[in-house]
Amino acid sequence: MAAAHAETQHHTTTGIDNRKLLMWIFLASECLFFGSLISTYLIFRGDSIVGPLPADLLDIPLTSTSTFVLLMSSLTMVLAVFGAQHNRLGLMKGMLLATIVLGLVFLGFQVYEFRHFAHLGLNLGTNQFGASFYLLTGIHGTHVGVGVLYLASLLVASARRNGLGKEAALHVDIAGLYWHFVDIVWIVIFTLIYLIP
Amino acid sequence: MVGHEMQHGGEEHPPSTIRQYVMTGVILTVITVVELFLSYSSLPHGLMVSLLIGLSAVKFVIVVAIFMHLRFENGLLTRLFMFGLVLAACILLALVSLFWNDGTDAVGGIPAGQEQSAPKH
Repeated sequence: MAAAHAETQHHTTTGIDNRKLLMWIFLASECLFFGSLISTYLIFRGDSIVGPLPADLLDIPLTSTSTFVLLMSSLTMVLAVFGAQHNRLGLMKGMLLATIVLGLVFLGFQVYEFRHFAHLGLNLGTNQFGASFYLLTGIHGTHVGVGVLYLASLLVASARRNGLGKEAALHVDIAGLYWHFVDIVWIVIFTLIYLIP
Repeated sequence: MVGHEMQHGGEEHPPSTIRQYVMTGVILTVITVVELFLSYSSLPHGLMVSLLIGLSAVKFVIVVAIFMHLRFENGLLTRLFMFGLVLAACILLALVSLFWNDGTDAVGGIPAGQEQSAPKH
């Protein structure tokens, strides 16, 4: 596998493919982005003058289900990478499709939650909790949406003749890094927003 | 190929079977279920928060190390990612400690308990 990897990678002074290095640098910068958003939420969530407040709205069982869905999407994603690296294209395509479906299910949960909260009176401008909650979870949801489009583009390319080519494993690996990052951000959000009262 | 393997003979390699990845997924699911039960438990607040943060850190590390293969990658990538992560943690701690200990962000800029002594306009 390592030899197969080496064939697809360009020679670089670091020994790491530049595209993969770029993705890791991007993810490191995303840590700062989400770190700032999470800080904003933690600062503002207790400062609301009017309700509804977090304790009135947050539904832990529902969000636990969506968290489970996102965790399983990480598992299917890593299996897609495994398939790509071991030339098992059927496995790769199936797992990419499964990851896309699970990502869409997660987004469905989020849309349902947003609509439910809006119905209960929490909008972006209702209070500081609403503003920071929608900002943080909305931007995370946007990242999931971008990830779904990214994976869908790989799936379409893999269906075309010579679509992904020899570098299929690298492309799927890099997309996997993005997808797993979205998952670990949700691990932090789920704990700090939903589980800790 | 042989030379390549000898050169990297001491390195660890990513899981080589689907079963190992599935077991990792099962472990992540079990941790999430434990977190869920903890959030409904009657443990002291400080202990519960510590346990929840600890468990979520374990999940974080498992996904980054095994699913993202960072444990098996070039050390440069680990350092790069840790740099962003540590900087983000510092920003979070600095901002939260700054604002949580700042009484002037109370309603009307008057710290709680001092409303009566404030001048009226």
